[in-house]
Amino acid sequence: MPFRWIEHTGELELELEAASERGIFEAGFHAMRELMSTAESRERIEVPVSLTGADRAALLADWLGELAFLAETRGLVPDRVASLAFSGDGLSARIEGRAGDPPHLVKGVTYHRLSFERSGGGWRARVVLDV
Amino acid sequence: MWELPASGPMRVPGRVFADAELVDAIGEDGSLEQLRNVATLPGVVDAVLAMPDVHQGYGFPVGGVAATEMPDGVVSPGGVGFDVNCGVRLLAAPFAVGELGGGREALVHEISRAVPAGTGRGSGLSLSEEELEAVLADGPRALDGVEAEDIELTESRGRLESADPSAVSARARERGADQLGTLGSGNHFVEVQRVDEVHDRAAAEALGLREGQVTVLIHSGSRGLGHQVCTDFVKRFDAAGDRYGIRLPDRQLSCAPASSEDGRSYLAAMAAAANFAWANRQLIAARIRKAITAVLGAEAAAGTRQVYDVAHNVAKVECHGARDLCVHRKGATRAFPPGSSEIPERYRDAGQPVFIPGSMGTASYVLAGRPGAMEHSFGTACHGAGRLLSRTAARKQIKGAELRRRLEQDGIVVRSPSNRGLAEEAPFAYKDVDKVVEIVECAGVAVRVARLRPIGVVKG
Repeated sequence: MPFRWIEHTGELELELEAASERGIFEAGFHAMRELMSTAESRERIEVPVSLTGADRAALLADWLGELAFLAETRGLVPDRVASLAFSGDGLSARIEGRAGDPPHLVKGVTYHRLSFERSGGGWRARVVLDV
Repeated sequence: MWELPASGPMRVPGRVFADAELVDAIGEDGSLEQLRNVATLPGVVDAVLAMPDVHQGYGFPVGGVAATEMPDGVVSPGGVGFDVNCGVRLLAAPFAVGELGGGREALVHEISRAVPAGTGRGSGLSLSEEELEAVLADGPRALDGVEAEDIELTESRGRLESADPSAVSARARERGADQLGTLGSGNHFVEVQRVDEVHDRAAAEALGLREGQVTVLIHSGSRGLGHQVCTDFVKRFDAAGDRYGIRLPDRQLSCAPASSEDGRSYLAAMAAAANFAWANRQLIAARIRKAITAVLGAEAAAGTRQVYDVAHNVAKVECHGARDLCVHRKGATRAFPPGSSEIPERYRDAGQPVFIPGSMGTASYVLAGRPGAMEHSFGTACHGAGRLLSRTAARKQIKGAELRRRLEQDGIVVRSPSNRGLAEEAPFAYKDVDKVVEIVECAGVAVRVARLRPIGVVKG
């Protein structure tokens, strides 16, 4: 399992593991998708995403924050990452999903205990979500 | 009061307002480590403080207070929190609980219909760009039909004049544009109460409170707009840290000198979000008055007056002992003593009203600020009971439906959009509010004026 949830008083921490940096972002997507899944959804939609960050950790926080923002403001229930590319300090992606009313559990993504580092032969990241 | 001596990178000591029992509870989570981290902020003065309801937060602990000296001491968005100007407003009705009788359930139900709850979008007043701009600049004054007395009886008279709407991002505006007048989720609520006991008769009389009277407590903030302001500036300050030569033990503490362009920009955006929150609570109050009209008639609604409105997530530049300080209150309430010019004239002899909501089903308190607050805590008191258990731990101990049944058995009408959310806010998930308030009173920070007991709750 590329991700696991850790609960603390008043917060939700996400721990991600993957063989590559890209895998960390994909794992984060799947974790958020798990939180936002709903049985009720409508037409398929595709959303382009373009982000920059001071480093990979900040970029990951932005990536997860973008998913929360799209859920809150456009009702996006994420389904898959159609494309994901990194260049310099940024990423561009296309997210496929459905219009719906996803559960709005995540209000935002914090920088508290934020980390993105090599671990063994792969990568590990931690992000704390505000719920 | 307990002290954590300054050591290592700490610039000042940490001080914790607690008794031995609460100190043990505080030691169970990361709050003390977070307090030590806050003490490393550039420009921090005297001591960083933890109120008795302190619990682990993001970077700063919730229930934390830190002051930095102007002009070059830093401002940190994490020291305000995501929910800028989360706060509490108390309304006092002209009728007693005995007069409400069977109308209690109808009133709570009508309030739940009138005030949208839950996370996320919609159901609020949908604002045009111009209207949102006005709310960010002027707070509740931008709304139609606002009573002058409501403005007078709000902290900072409902507007931080340093607000600059242009400092608020398009994303924050998009999140907030249709959320005005909505409660939010988590621990936000509207609670219908009765004044259960008066502790200070003179102060209660000044505040217009008497035993048996029905009151309504509103707990809400700046919704997605304020949240995005914090997110935007944590990211901006984190990226700018090297430029200012600031290294921090936790990135959520990211900060900038208050006098820098970055710092001033955050304070301007934060102030705008604070104004939005006061407008939000004003609109919620208006919806509650409409609910009272529907159930009890126009005269009852017209006689429902505002007692006061306090912020408990905000940073303000204040003068303390001839120093200009940026006082960060994160889950902590201003508590100015009698005589302060910041207090409305009618309350000036009594001291600034402070509202301490307990957990659902337990008591809340009205306090009044005392001189000890200026001496010990930069004019600050606690803000609530403080979480003890995580949401998962609370849900493991009780199901929402069972909690609802128990509350209703205790005579408390409950309306909640989610049984899951209800369980997360179970009373045992929080500290003992009686103890928290007792410690604040023993410290000379504030005194009890009245205790309020719930008779109905609309949960966010």
